[in-house]
Amino acid sequence: MTGNKIPVGPFHPLLEEAEYFELKVDGETVVDIDMEIGWMHRGHEYISEQKTFTQSIYLVERICGICSTSHPLACVHAIEDIDNIEIPLRARYIRTLVGELERVHSHLLWLGLAGHFIGYDTLWMWAWKYREPTLQMFEAISGNRNHYGMMRVGGVAKDVDPAIIPDLLKILDEIDRKMEMIAKAAKDDPVLKSRLVGVGVLKKEDAIAHCVVGPTARASGVAIDVRKDEPTDAYDLVNFNEIVLKNGDVYDKLVVRVLETIESNKIIRQCLEKLKTVGGPILNNVKEITPGEGIGRYEAPRGEVFHYIRSDGTNRPVRHKVRAPSYVNIPSFVASCKGIPVADVLITLAAVDPCYCCTERALRVVDAHDRPFELDLQRLSRTKTEQIRREIYGK
Amino acid sequence: MDEFKQFRELFGTKIGQVIQKPRRLFFVVKEEHLLEIVKYLFDGIGCRLSTATAQETYHGLEILYHFSLDKAGIYFCPRIVISDKQNPKVLSITALVPGAVWIEREMFDLWGIEFVGHPRMEQLLTLNSPENPNQPLRFGRQA
Repeated sequence: MTGNKIPVGPFHPLLEEAEYFELKVDGETVVDIDMEIGWMHRGHEYISEQKTFTQSIYLVERICGICSTSHPLACVHAIEDIDNIEIPLRARYIRTLVGELERVHSHLLWLGLAGHFIGYDTLWMWAWKYREPTLQMFEAISGNRNHYGMMRVGGVAKDVDPAIIPDLLKILDEIDRKMEMIAKAAKDDPVLKSRLVGVGVLKKEDAIAHCVVGPTARASGVAIDVRKDEPTDAYDLVNFNEIVLKNGDVYDKLVVRVLETIESNKIIRQCLEKLKTVGGPILNNVKEITPGEGIGRYEAPRGEVFHYIRSDGTNRPVRHKVRAPSYVNIPSFVASCKGIPVADVLITLAAVDPCYCCTERALRVVDAHDRPFELDLQRLSRTKTEQIRREIYGK
Repeated sequence: MDEFKQFRELFGTKIGQVIQKPRRLFFVVKEEHLLEIVKYLFDGIGCRLSTATAQETYHGLEILYHFSLDKAGIYFCPRIVISDKQNPKVLSITALVPGAVWIEREMFDLWGIEFVGHPRMEQLLTLNSPENPNQPLRFGRQA
């Protein structure tokens, strides 16, 4: 039987956020997939153009709870690109430290979710247990477990107290040991291999055609990593390996992330050691942003975060474009989901670590009379629920 | 950058105003040369399309493509200016760059720019909105 459609979402137990996928199936096999986004209403790009440059950094920090350093870092890179602003050396190490801590906690979060999605809850509990010390490090450095508020144009907002570095290194030793254990377990585990090897393959040519980024690209053999390609902050001062595999299946995406976590720990250790000796200021005083345009990007845990900012010489951006990695990774499902069984679809969708709230950062909703909806999200939610009810029950 | 120099030697007569920075090259291109330049950037030297930025200015609607040459860590940014604000149209690059499908739909959705040759020219973000927001990021948006 052909032509049957299976809806997944927009609200589904295995999608953490609202997104709609329509699978066209032939028996148990997926022959095509369609995606509909637009289920969340954010408006960050529009709001940012009403804010000052400094306020915009705080705003973009709220685009994503997990990438809450990547967006502000890409944003300050874009503003600094307009005027080629230099960053003090100590601030460069602090930025790199915070960015890599974010990668560790994000990859462990995904690893736990992936384990949970395939019914392997031991992996879920392990990964999330060892993510906790990373969040404690964040709390010690920034005062927050999430939304750290560390980035500023010209440097960072908060210094790392040298007195806490020995304690941070102790926590890092513990995380290192556990990550080595998880890496060995993941690479040798017959359960993971039998469930994930050969599932949801994204071929290299498809990865290039869809312009995918991050671990999704690197698992398919596309060697791109902003940290290596255009090293900013302290990435040209630390040693680490770019992890690139070739099979493009869910298993390789898992292994890329696990090995990247170990590389991130290496970078964190190097930064902490340097912060013991490298002194100096943490913030250059930037008084104005001249007219011009700048591009900033950062290798977030899910891939390249891209920000473009145009300035007219005032204290506000006239255009602020944001492109999150999931925005380019999600359309690659068209290539990776075709021909696989329905049962493999959800882990294939989850394997790119999609972040739907990042993807839908742009929308500004107004009604037919130009009244902004974003001021009344409850009304928008009720209207949509009523529409769905009408479609289902005809009343 | 050698890549910028080589590009300007090849396409110097086909591009307009240029802003060059150490790692960025912004340049204006006319629509008739767009596909040729995109083909060179994407297929010829292996650039990746990061995204595209639309903006409304007093001169018209602008589309700024961001092509990243990852191996060199640089950006080529062709800029198209559409002066017809009432009926903005431009050629789609999706036949050359499949990764442009969503961003062109988004620009159609929020700015009203029609991409000729796009395989599915419909809204991306507001497809399911209860009321059509009607190009919400345009200056003179019609209710």
